[in-house]
Amino acid sequence: MHHHAPRRIASPRRIAALGLSAAVVLGLTACGPDITAPAESSSSSKLQAPSEDSPSGEITIWDRSGDLYEVFDAAIADFNQVYPDITVNHEAVDIDAKLQNTLITGTDVPDGVFLDDAKIAGLSDYMWDLSDVLAPYVDDIAPQKVDVNSVDGGIYGVPFDSNPGLLYYNATALEAQGIDATSIETYDDLLAAATEYQAKVPGSQPIHLEQSPFLGQLQLEMYASQLGTSLADENGDLRLDSDEYRQILGFLDTVQKDGLGTRAEYLGPTDIASLENGNEVFYPWAIWFSFAPQQLLPETSGDWRAMPLPAFEPGGARSGAMGGSSFALPKDGENSELAWLFYKFLMFDEAGYTAVWGPNDVYPDGLNTSIPSYQPAADSSKPLFAPVEALGGQDLWAVATEAGAEIPRSAPIPTWWAGAVDYLGNDIQRMLDGELTPDDVIEKSTADIQSNLVDRQ
Amino acid sequence: MTIHRTPTPITATARALHETATGHGRADAAELVSKPRRGRHGGMIVAQVFLILLTIGFLAPVVWALLSAFKPANDIIRAPLSFDPTTFTLDNYTAMFEDVPIGSGFVNTGIVLLVKGTITLFCAPLAAYAFAKYDFRGKNLIFGAVLVTLMLPTIVLIIPLLLEMKQLGWVNTYQALILPGAVDAFAIFWMRQVIAAVPDELLDAARVDGCGEFGIFWRVVLPVIRPGIAGLAVLTLMNIYNDFVWPVVIASSDARATLQVVLSTLAQNITGNRIGADYATVTGELLAASSVALIPLLVLFIALQRHFINGILAGSVKG
Amino acid sequence: MSTLIAPRAKRPIITPARKRPMTAARAKRGLAPYLFVAPFVAIFLAFSIYPLVFTARLSFTNWRGSGAAEWVGWDNYTYLLGNSGFWGSLANSGVLWLLIIPAQLVIALLAAVLLDNAKLRLRSIYRIAFIVPFVTPLVAIAQIWVVAFDQNYGAVNSVLNLVGIPDIGWLTTSEWSKPTLALLFIWKTTGFIVIILLSGLQSIDSSVYEAAELDGSSRLRTLWSITVPLLRRTIMFAVVLQTLAVFQMFAEPFVVTQGGPYNSTTTAGYYLYNHITRGDLGTGAANSFLLVIIVMALSLVFVRLLRAKD
Repeated sequence: MHHHAPRRIASPRRIAALGLSAAVVLGLTACGPDITAPAESSSSSKLQAPSEDSPSGEITIWDRSGDLYEVFDAAIADFNQVYPDITVNHEAVDIDAKLQNTLITGTDVPDGVFLDDAKIAGLSDYMWDLSDVLAPYVDDIAPQKVDVNSVDGGIYGVPFDSNPGLLYYNATALEAQGIDATSIETYDDLLAAATEYQAKVPGSQPIHLEQSPFLGQLQLEMYASQLGTSLADENGDLRLDSDEYRQILGFLDTVQKDGLGTRAEYLGPTDIASLENGNEVFYPWAIWFSFAPQQLLPETSGDWRAMPLPAFEPGGARSGAMGGSSFALPKDGENSELAWLFYKFLMFDEAGYTAVWGPNDVYPDGLNTSIPSYQPAADSSKPLFAPVEALGGQDLWAVATEAGAEIPRSAPIPTWWAGAVDYLGNDIQRMLDGELTPDDVIEKSTADIQSNLVDRQ
Repeated sequence: MTIHRTPTPITATARALHETATGHGRADAAELVSKPRRGRHGGMIVAQVFLILLTIGFLAPVVWALLSAFKPANDIIRAPLSFDPTTFTLDNYTAMFEDVPIGSGFVNTGIVLLVKGTITLFCAPLAAYAFAKYDFRGKNLIFGAVLVTLMLPTIVLIIPLLLEMKQLGWVNTYQALILPGAVDAFAIFWMRQVIAAVPDELLDAARVDGCGEFGIFWRVVLPVIRPGIAGLAVLTLMNIYNDFVWPVVIASSDARATLQVVLSTLAQNITGNRIGADYATVTGELLAASSVALIPLLVLFIALQRHFINGILAGSVKG
Repeated sequence: MSTLIAPRAKRPIITPARKRPMTAARAKRGLAPYLFVAPFVAIFLAFSIYPLVFTARLSFTNWRGSGAAEWVGWDNYTYLLGNSGFWGSLANSGVLWLLIIPAQLVIALLAAVLLDNAKLRLRSIYRIAFIVPFVTPLVAIAQIWVVAFDQNYGAVNSVLNLVGIPDIGWLTTSEWSKPTLALLFIWKTTGFIVIILLSGLQSIDSSVYEAAELDGSSRLRTLWSITVPLLRRTIMFAVVLQTLAVFQMFAEPFVVTQGGPYNSTTTAGYYLYNHITRGDLGTGAANSFLLVIIVMALSLVFVRLLRAKD
């Protein structure tokens, strides 16, 4: 065909001219949807329970895909035995991608949605204040879970699970070296046990050190929760610059400096290999690590046990919260009060929470990666899930519920928590690289979080 | 370097026009290539080695994904690089079909592909033709705006567009999946460049023959730019098929979820931070869903190779 | 390259394009162009310009998706311009651009020229191979990328160990994370460039090759001295498109590195995305307009380079 045709794409002058005309278009700011309208009045933002005996209607419930979706899905049948006239439209949804946008447009908003606790405060503007409907139960819910859902006196989520931090340890490997992990009571004891194990198993690095900035920051918050603090107080003010954080970072720094830590991403290839070959034997993590020995660690499955976390000081709290979720009810949902009945059943009715945590089709031995935050359900003597084979038949329920009861009170998780990973999460990793001291981390992260996140709210 | 014998610009033009009109150009080229030449054999071997290595590199991750979908979910995480055919299972597939509406995902993607693709393939060359071959008022203004939108990251338009859909009452509708981006800036930009390459003489000749303006586009321009259109068709097909940013937010109900929306539902537990428990099962389901999503497209490409990709390669003109 | 090379022949046509006197035929065209652009303009105004204007307004507010928007003037812009995170994300994208574009262009060009040859054996297999990554969902591949490039147990390091290269922290060090991400991007998008180049190759007159053939030029020389100059416009088009794609890139870091380690893979697109997912829509809008200006400036540079070579 022809080899000399194309007129030029555009000359610089032309592009400049086009850019200018584009600027004119942009300058026409007279159109576009109106976003300056005042917010709806918040007078009616407290949800009330329906008054009729057997209410009817249809509700749409969003959950994230995976095992929990299936567990909740199976529980719907139990719910319908109590409320036969409520149809539950249960959808597995990419909540992170969809929820914020759906709430902004207010179209096809679900009646109830499963939400990370870290997201509750940021979306509370869109959610019902549940303090009236939760009033009969609130005294029986784990205080830490009530705190993370509370914003300015309202409660914006039905607390779902508690995720107590536990110390998972490879009992078989430790016993082979004559180390009794159960005698560990403080983090100093842990360091001593790790040192001893390393001396007997040269090349081992017994304690897990998280390498993902996000999970590393989440784990930091577990330790902080143990000491009764968190990144922000109930007013949203930063409180990283404190003795508690200095103590925690000092502990992590020591583990790294003394060569006692396996630095790896949570259950990444390096992590799994180190757990399986006995190099990594201590894993201070949320209860949901129990998934690993059950499914990902066939070589050492059965060797693992769980115990409460060590305390920072003798007599200190033996657990802290790491992660956790709740159910939020958007104000734009059509049948929010019916969705409340659904969550009330799941969380506070024995048939409900038994269906969630007890043996079911998805988990024949029950759901053992978290415990209920509703205290009557989390009775250490009345286990909902069975002893765990992968933990050598240990009664994880008793360990977890007793640890859960020790979690100190907390504060709502600030909107910018995930954004802080760019600063604090990364600075922790830099400390583990040996570039920063714990004091550097606190100083640098405090300044960065304050100017980039808190001040720009 | 110097080339001694070359056609003059004038003869080249004449020749180009002739070939454009008769479609003999490629036949000549094919003949040419088949002629034995110095060092041809060695060159071909090097070329084949280069292409085979590239092919392996390009296909290996996909083969891994296709095979892994048959492994027990936990093994995908635990032993990602080992494949033991005796443990192969369809569990990931059965679980995936139970959990996500992949069937309706196919239907929705098909509908969007068909309608949106047709709009793009008709409107983009037509508008590009006007941009390339006519002078008219507002041309630079519009084209400048096209350039700006081409450079603007799509993600930033999502929320404004969503608010607009709300005002129109179009949330969860096919028109909302189809119309935004139906004629995207890239298609205009590219087609304009392709059409600019068509010699004006050809259009003038058609005009002399009494062709109407649309007739020139339909009977002269379109046939000449067939390779470009074929390329646009392939890229449009793939872009629509791959698109998930907009569909995920606009198709919040299962009834309108496209394939990519279904995939993103599964993907969230893996791309997120693995908080919670069982991401292995979802990984298995995701790989199964990805395989299922990939295979029809592959079959389509293989079946349509002659028509589609050869269209780019052949560049011949009919009539 | 002193004698004729085809681009020279373009000159006469380019310059007078606008100055051509109005002919009768030209005058008759009348309404036609307006009708031709009408369907596009309708869709474009409704679904691109309207939200674009909205976004422009947003960039001067602190709107977070609910409640009333507060006008903050140039605050979002000055915040970004004075923020090391913003400049860092641009620098990351710049480095990725250098890692990606030249390598990808060479691979795509060689592949396209070879695939253009009707006598090539296995041609249909190669074509499919190039297209497959483009239509494979990225999330399905993220897992293998993380596994293959693991520092201690990854397949890539195992192979390198065989030839005596020590373990490389592909995903854990700031130095290597960018090449790792660049590889993923090249893997994902090269097929796209190959298709564009292939269609560009169609507009090259075979007689040019004939001339080269008679001259006895080697293949590579033909490629370099004839094909590349003739394809220059298509190549520039591909470069501009890929420049946009590299600066807007967000899916690749999102699924594999989450912007880390130490924000070394926080691309301009990923940085922008973070504002939006955190609900800071005003800053996100301002960020994207700054990005438009930067990308436009880069495109101008390319066009200038192209002209300088003419």
